[in-house]
Amino acid sequence: MHFAAPQFYLPGLHVGLQHYLILAGLLFVMGLFAVLTRRHAVAILLGLELMLNAANLNLVAFNRYVQPAAVSGQVFALMVIALAACEAAVGLALILALYRNIGSVTPDEMDQLRG
Amino acid sequence: MSDVQIFADLAFYLVAALILVSALGVLFARRVLHAALALLPCLLGIAGLYAVLAAHFMFAVQILIYAGAITVLILFAVMMLQRILGGGILAGSHNPLVGLLAAGTMFLALVAALLMTDFAGQDPGSLGVGNAAQLGQALLTREVLAFEALSVVILAAIIGAIVIARTRAEGE
Repeated sequence: MHFAAPQFYLPGLHVGLQHYLILAGLLFVMGLFAVLTRRHAVAILLGLELMLNAANLNLVAFNRYVQPAAVSGQVFALMVIALAACEAAVGLALILALYRNIGSVTPDEMDQLRG
Repeated sequence: MSDVQIFADLAFYLVAALILVSALGVLFARRVLHAALALLPCLLGIAGLYAVLAAHFMFAVQILIYAGAITVLILFAVMMLQRILGGGILAGSHNPLVGLLAAGTMFLALVAALLMTDFAGQDPGSLGVGNAAQLGQALLTREVLAFEALSVVILAAIIGAIVIARTRAEGE
């Protein structure tokens, strides 16, 4: 089976490194937006996960397009995934403990250290 | 332009749309539970992109650990909080202007950096074969120190999470 490239297939549509970087950039700023605007601690953690995934996507894309023979980018991304799992576990444990101690999961209300 | 390449491009655009739409769900869902559920297609989409990028081991790890373990952990915590608080938890948003300003500035900076950089990248062509064996070899030879350090970090995180989250018995 052979498919000819359609007429509307412009050169800019061909996916390259830049496409991945722009997608990862969008994902990163969306995560940043969630971290800055959400009022619930778990929702902030969700934003953090988005940001970590954006970084991972960058690492794997760079690995593929800049140094296809090596696996360093994928090793980096693996480490980030493992650390993200740790972060999620400890973060959720902290949220539960905070709820028990101050009865709230809104970061604005965690101001016991304010002088 | 090979057929495979056209299909890979098409897959990229479809999956990218899925990722961005579900990320919007994470950003704007009213309930935390819905936001956490919206994260799932986003993570699966990124796994799909790993497959397009010929990182097959990363594809499997992303589905198993991210879409499997981390999402379930977050859902578990959300449901537990719902049980304690009673009813669905609203995520709530504030300062959308500040967030938009910061995110917009960040994105402009990223795009500017992207446009100003000349990547010495090459087009790897077709989909390529996986390199899980190579990845495993790298993890146990050149990257073995990071690998072992990571296991200590994970152990510390597990113990730490249990110690932080447990309810203390009387008189402790």
